Amino acid sequence: MRLSLPARLLLYASVAATCAILVFPIYWLFVTALSQPDQLRQLPPKFWPDAPRWEVFGRILAERPILLWLSNSALAALGAVGLSMSVSVLAGYSLSRFRVRGGQSLGLFILAAKMLPATLLVIPLFGIFRMTGMIGSLWSVVLAHATLIVPFTTWMLKGYFDTIPRELDQAAMVDGCSPFGALFRVILPVAAPGLAATALYGFVLSWSDYAYARTFLTNAQGSWTANLGITTMKGEYISNWADISAASILVALPILAIYLFLERYLVGGLTAGSDK
Amino acid sequence: MASIRIEDVRKSYGPVEVLKGFSLDIRDGEFVVLVGPSGCGKSTMLKILAGLEPASSGSIHIGARDVTDVAPGARDIAMVFQNYALYPHLTVAKNMGFGLKMRGMPKPEIDRRVRDAARILDVEHLLDRRPRQLSGGQRQRVALGRAIVREPQAFLMDEPLSNLDAKLRVHMRAEISALHRRLGVTTIYVTHDQVEAMTMADRIVLMRDGEIQQIADPDTIYARPANIFVAGFIGAPGMNFLAARRAGADRVALFGQEIALPGLQATAGDSLVLGLRPESICLGAGSVRFAARPTLVESLGSDKYIHVGVPEAHRVPLAATAAHDQARRGEALIARLINPGPVAEGDPIQLGFEPADLHVFDPATGAALR
Repeated sequence: MRLSLPARLLLYASVAATCAILVFPIYWLFVTALSQPDQLRQLPPKFWPDAPRWEVFGRILAERPILLWLSNSALAALGAVGLSMSVSVLAGYSLSRFRVRGGQSLGLFILAAKMLPATLLVIPLFGIFRMTGMIGSLWSVVLAHATLIVPFTTWMLKGYFDTIPRELDQAAMVDGCSPFGALFRVILPVAAPGLAATALYGFVLSWSDYAYARTFLTNAQGSWTANLGITTMKGEYISNWADISAASILVALPILAIYLFLERYLVGGLTAGSDK
Repeated sequence: MASIRIEDVRKSYGPVEVLKGFSLDIRDGEFVVLVGPSGCGKSTMLKILAGLEPASSGSIHIGARDVTDVAPGARDIAMVFQNYALYPHLTVAKNMGFGLKMRGMPKPEIDRRVRDAARILDVEHLLDRRPRQLSGGQRQRVALGRAIVREPQAFLMDEPLSNLDAKLRVHMRAEISALHRRLGVTTIYVTHDQVEAMTMADRIVLMRDGEIQQIADPDTIYARPANIFVAGFIGAPGMNFLAARRAGADRVALFGQEIALPGLQATAGDSLVLGLRPESICLGAGSVRFAARPTLVESLGSDKYIHVGVPEAHRVPLAATAAHDQARRGEALIARLINPGPVAEGDPIQLGFEPADLHVFDPATGAALR
């Protein structure tokens, strides 16, 4: 369908406006990070600092254990995603393929678990982790994040498995695979884009958590995640928002890198050609 | 290759019984087609045969082996699916060799068999491609190739041509028949297309509502349908049905005439349903003739389908015919005339037929009486 010129202009204008709204906070984060702290509150605001302080990133890395925080965040996120995906792949596949008594109710129960706000679970989880001696350990955050991630990823994967023709499983079984063999040899490779998207979702969810890390890790500085660490940069009386913004940019970079790496898997269409 | 024996297989989903005691003996090397309208249980039967669905009861033997509770991969069968079910992440060669790899066959032997099958199916040049890079016909060949490399005891095919366009379907139909003759492997083929059933089968198993209606070779099933459903299902256009009354032990009254039908079995009442195939009706010929005015003339070039009204007294209630495409059967009769010359709608014509071409059915049971 070929659009008329006014329609095309309107389309491009809408896209540009949407992008501007989405990108502006990120842009402003950069402006804040590169500005001198005393220039942040000036009116009218400057949309680009006169003398950008590019050295801020190096200084922050030297002054604060950002790399330790980042590695803690990465360990927590990888652990939570690994654990969640191991459970979700099997649960999502089962919900998609097998008709069991009460299966639908079970699926809705899993979804209902996601509807509970994270803050509601903080206190019972704190009680459990204290009893098991896990307070202050990254494992507490890994397990807590998994409780958040599993319900959503299970449903995301169930939805993805539903789009894969059942005949692929059946063909694999006729070819000699067990049901597990069919899942691992045929369905999971075909579901790679769905797995990548789901894993990325879980990773972002874990990476962006603050509440659980704040509750379980406050007294264990060596286990602080990046988000928890950044909040300690905020002083009681004075906060250096420029430095905090610079640290926030450093914390956001890994997510960006992972997204770029996984992008090719996120593009659908791998199943094209399997049928019809 | 092996014979297959299916004994009293039943399948229920809760209270719904989709297979009501299916029994069939298939000879070694035979090409059997399961045919019937949607929902008749033919695909369910094939999946039970493949081991993809458990039967509620009954048994299945492939050769001398009872495979009723054997996993699909251990039944030594190969299956071709309606939507091909090629593995999209594997090349054509790996798709075809997947089943052999699962059986632990050495790679050189896998390569040899894949190459041989690819040569037979003329897909050698496609071996390094992925399924998404193939056309529908090529995918169908690869799906067939994946089945034949296994050299299984039997091929199971679940409507393998239904996603192809009409021209390619005719071509692939002939190829599958030729492949069967060449390999001689026992084949069970499911379709809802009666043309595929008639052209490919050694024997047809016609099903309806989970029950076998008739098992016979194509010529027999066409010439001597066991009941009114089979008669209506096989043939295109379908058989015409006319209500009639007995006019004696082996005579019926039709179009104001008494027609002798030797060998007519006795029934409880006088009512009968007569069946007459459109191709048995002639223009201006036949020992039984009747006047008619075409209400619709459909020209196919060489053939013409002439629709004429059926007198009220000869209309058959639709429920009595119970065939899948009988929406028009009650009120219209179709004659299929080959090169009849000009026939116009509304013009008076004389149609005729031979009494020997009449099929007779019991209106109560639907069973053939002659």
